[in-house]
Amino acid sequence: MTRHSRVRSAAVCAAVASIAVLGLSACKGANSNNTSAAGVLTIQGDAGDPTLTANFNPFAPPPNQLEGTRLIYEPLEIPSSVDGKYTPFLATGFTFTDPKTLVYTLRSGVKWSDGKPFSSADVVFTFNLLKKNAALDTTGVWTQMSNITASGNKVTVAFKTPNVPFATTVAAVPIVAQHLWASVKDPVKYTNTKPVGTGPFMLDTFAPTQYVFKKNPTYWQASKIVPTQIKFPAQSSNQSTNQLDVTSGKFDWSYNFLPDVKKTYVAKDPKHNSYWFPPGGTIGLFLNLTKSPYTDANFRKGLSLALNRDTIAQKAVNGYTGPASLSGLILPNLEQYLDPSLPNKGNVTQNSSAAMAAFQQAGFTKQGGKLSKGGKAVSMTIVAPNNFTDWVAAAKEVKTQLGAVGISVSLDLPQFAQYQQAIAAGKFDVAFGGFGGTGIPYTDFNNALNSKFATPINTATVNNFERFKDPTVDQALTTLAASTAAGAQKQAIYKLEQVMYNQVPIVLLYYGGSWGLFSTKHYTGWPSASDPYMLPTTYNNAMLVILTHLKKA
Amino acid sequence: MRYVLTKIGLFVLTLWAAVTLNFILPRLMPGSPLDAALAKLASTGQQVTNAQRRAIEAQLGSPHGNVFSQYWDYLGNLAHLQFGRSFTDPTRTVASSIAKALPWTLVLVGATTIFAFVIGTLLGVYAGWRRGKKADTAVTLGATFFAAFPPFWLGLLLLYVLAFKLDWFAIKGGYSEGLTPNLSLSFLSDAVQHSVLPALTLAITSLSGWVFGMRNNMINTLGEDYVTFAEANGLRSRTVATRYAARNALLPNVTAFGLSLGAVVGGSVLVEGVFSYPGLGHLLFEAVSNHDFPLMQALFLVITVSMLVAIFIVDLLYARLDPRVRR
Repeated sequence: MTRHSRVRSAAVCAAVASIAVLGLSACKGANSNNTSAAGVLTIQGDAGDPTLTANFNPFAPPPNQLEGTRLIYEPLEIPSSVDGKYTPFLATGFTFTDPKTLVYTLRSGVKWSDGKPFSSADVVFTFNLLKKNAALDTTGVWTQMSNITASGNKVTVAFKTPNVPFATTVAAVPIVAQHLWASVKDPVKYTNTKPVGTGPFMLDTFAPTQYVFKKNPTYWQASKIVPTQIKFPAQSSNQSTNQLDVTSGKFDWSYNFLPDVKKTYVAKDPKHNSYWFPPGGTIGLFLNLTKSPYTDANFRKGLSLALNRDTIAQKAVNGYTGPASLSGLILPNLEQYLDPSLPNKGNVTQNSSAAMAAFQQAGFTKQGGKLSKGGKAVSMTIVAPNNFTDWVAAAKEVKTQLGAVGISVSLDLPQFAQYQQAIAAGKFDVAFGGFGGTGIPYTDFNNALNSKFATPINTATVNNFERFKDPTVDQALTTLAASTAAGAQKQAIYKLEQVMYNQVPIVLLYYGGSWGLFSTKHYTGWPSASDPYMLPTTYNNAMLVILTHLKKA
Repeated sequence: MRYVLTKIGLFVLTLWAAVTLNFILPRLMPGSPLDAALAKLASTGQQVTNAQRRAIEAQLGSPHGNVFSQYWDYLGNLAHLQFGRSFTDPTRTVASSIAKALPWTLVLVGATTIFAFVIGTLLGVYAGWRRGKKADTAVTLGATFFAAFPPFWLGLLLLYVLAFKLDWFAIKGGYSEGLTPNLSLSFLSDAVQHSVLPALTLAITSLSGWVFGMRNNMINTLGEDYVTFAEANGLRSRTVATRYAARNALLPNVTAFGLSLGAVVGGSVLVEGVFSYPGLGHLLFEAVSNHDFPLMQALFLVITVSMLVAIFIVDLLYARLDPRVRR
């Protein structure tokens, strides 16, 4: 959502990208008519490095698990990453009998693609499989669950502590067949090359550079599935090659950042080619909250007021997405949760004099053009991974803008692995990072602000790596986790938004985009601004929801 | 005989040094396989959580034990030619990944190296023989022109013009999507078509080196007394050029050729990257960016060993070709 690309390689790409930008406008779209034949859907597939390895284990970490696996194994329900709204799959619905007890009602008449019936025993087996093999529990369901039981078509999940929003994580676990997986010796290293699931598609053929799915004729909602075959040609790990591939028009659905998309993509086939780049996450400056001066909320506010977010978004993502609301919510996706008391929907515009006032409150004054306190000038190092070109572009702009208020900024742009290591260990001043994007306010705020993730410096953490600690926030998160009533949930969310807005633990900058590119030549019904039922991502279970919405063109 | 023994001793010592460096270097890189895996996940825009981090840590084959026990295991495994499993995808063995990529590189880079050597050397002989004439100027100028191209840049240019704009060739890969490598005629012709652009890139950019080397050797040799003597004897000029001058001028080029054959196995990281070619160079690039230590070590080992073997063979051959070095 937040990145330009699916996988990025080194500096080489930048060179091609620039060639591509210069040259594409002159292209005539000569080869834009080679999309799929009738009944076939072609999706820009996984990045092969350089070839694919057959691995349809739904619990393998995503680079190894082929993305198409999502169309073979279904979860109970899929929450939309736009607004958290559920689409039911193997379950028909759920209720919380109390904030610690979650009951799913399962769909009847569902069959595995080998003909055996699906039952609640499969669900219980799957969750217990994750309990036995912690390495498979990639979403950490057993960090919250204490027990799972079945009776008839009902499955009851018990939580250790009240955690209503965690239902989204439980619902999304892909369910596997007990009669097949019970005999798998090492499910962690299992590649599952003959997958049997309940989903709409089955593996047809596998080749090192492309795998093909065919429709599952016994799928429980087979009438809603229009394509009879899906092709997933392997992508290059070279981003610029992928951009050329996408613009040549061979995919019905692809996910790629393209510069000047109207010229480079839409103009190739104006009748069919369309795009939707909704916000899918928020990019911000994560300040190391264990270090002075970032510990001072007034200093953080000063930073926030000193920035022109429009310019930053323009430089970073071509203005495809705009400046971020400081409420922490992605707007308009989550407008229903927005605290009406926040001025201007939580948007903050550049205001140098207000910024200087905030800095002054923190004890900083401008001396000889430099922002200083006690005779010491402020300097900071911003770290960002060098292959995230949008972050790097934004970082350069931030450097210029903060320079204007007298803060000397230097940029540290290492390889991603090195960046990841630095932020996880807390060894940074200021870091670029992604915030939110799950569609569930609790999950977004909890991952970023819960003090239980704030490990000491040198102990790695992925969540809350800025190391924010505030008992009132923890309290609000606990309240939100325990409330099942919409009104109480909203009040708790408002509290968290106010903390985001007033204390600025993270200086949010702009929305990262989700880069959906569609051809309506063979299929319509793609998600769009007027029908935003799902983010257009090709790499998570959004795919399953979108497949049930497609219609013949 | 002493010469050969010294060379063998040197070979073993260099091999040990290379093997040890090969162990140390990847571990000096900042970041771990785990960080690289999280990077991959985050680059698709997915939110990474601590739970994911723990699960991935458990799934990946992370290094176990302290550095010394790792080194000891490493030496032991090498002795048995056991390279283990890839860290990034523990379902794959390192040996199978290399075996899959090796033929592509051997054929592509090997064939273009031989082609560039033969054509480049012939052009060099010709240019050297006609030194100062129009033909020499044309060849030298042309070679200078192409030598100035960085290979990956020329690759990008060819890719953009011939593959994307004109649609004559595929823009990526070693063969068409959906095919499985086999030895049938239809597959081979598909593979050949896919290899035209990378081969052209490699050939054009490596040609110049051979041309310059050969031309300069030729000019030196042509100044030798025995060439003047042969000319004075009234031999036909072509005989003088090929039998007398070129034959002797070829010696240094043969050495260089041996070395570049040794380097073939390393593939061409940049050119294979540009064309997403399924060879060793591309594999090496991926291994390094994923911090896949076992794969990296095995690749570096294959590359260094083939280089050392090439040097060793060239050393021995030289002793046969030029008796002076034996003393």
